[in-house]
Amino acid sequence: MAKRFPPMHDQKANRMPQPGFSFDLSIDPNPRFISLVRRFVEETFERLVGDAESVFRVSMTAHELLENAAKYSLGQKTLLRVSLEQVTEGHRLSLCLINDTTGAHIDRLRDRIDELNATTDAFELYQSLMRRNMKNRDESGLGLARICAEGEMSLGLEVKGNTVAIMSSALFPKAGAA
Amino acid sequence: MTTTGIDPIKDIDFAADSKVEGRNLVVVLTGNADLNIKDELDRFLVDVHRVAGSLGAAEVSVDVRRLEFMNSSCLKCLVTWISQIQEQPPEKHYRIAFLATPAMYWQRRSLHALSCLAPELVSVQG
Repeated sequence: MAKRFPPMHDQKANRMPQPGFSFDLSIDPNPRFISLVRRFVEETFERLVGDAESVFRVSMTAHELLENAAKYSLGQKTLLRVSLEQVTEGHRLSLCLINDTTGAHIDRLRDRIDELNATTDAFELYQSLMRRNMKNRDESGLGLARICAEGEMSLGLEVKGNTVAIMSSALFPKAGAA
Repeated sequence: MTTTGIDPIKDIDFAADSKVEGRNLVVVLTGNADLNIKDELDRFLVDVHRVAGSLGAAEVSVDVRRLEFMNSSCLKCLVTWISQIQEQPPEKHYRIAFLATPAMYWQRRSLHALSCLAPELVSVQG
């Protein structure tokens, strides 16, 4: 089973909720728009998080999620939901991509996210997928694994009919925290 | 055509070019490598591999210092290129040396992943 994530603004975790922010972008998942959105996310988080490496992790994740939609979504509408919540330990960042897709792609997503959630070493699995897909020119098969390995984000999946929500999140500790 | 005989790529947001230095090849990638140029990059790297073989190159240098971002599909193009080198007899192997910059954060993580995939073939400088 793919890991189910709590709703985006769930506050039942053992921490004091503090103000944050969120925004939704409803876009046509046209490949020409994806880098524009990544740059927007990057510039937004540069102001909010500051740390360049964290900004890369967030913007890369947004890019890879949107490319998944560009390649596999049905229809012209994709929703990217971004939220940043201040928690005691730092910031919790969540990105959620919602779109319609085919049953076959839903099965592939479920398998891949289950595989990523089952591993204890995301980088090793990323390398293994690189080797597995070396000769496949049609599909990279690396985007979600990259989110986990390079972006250090966790992934979850929710499915309702043909609508999928791919959720990624990570805690970004306060600067200077151990 | 450049002096390598490899057609460069000139997209709105991405460029790839190559030149010969001695018996080695120098490849320069600039801009933003995303889904829009994936097929072109695949074609470009097939040509780079062919020309490196015909030159008997010991090394292909790939300058990515002005490459703002590379998506997973384009990283996969590099993985496929590495696999083409690995499939050849050892005497025909050549090294790929990435010239990187710490200013581009994607490079640190993504190029590290490539170098771990084939440490005998791939190095990262910078």
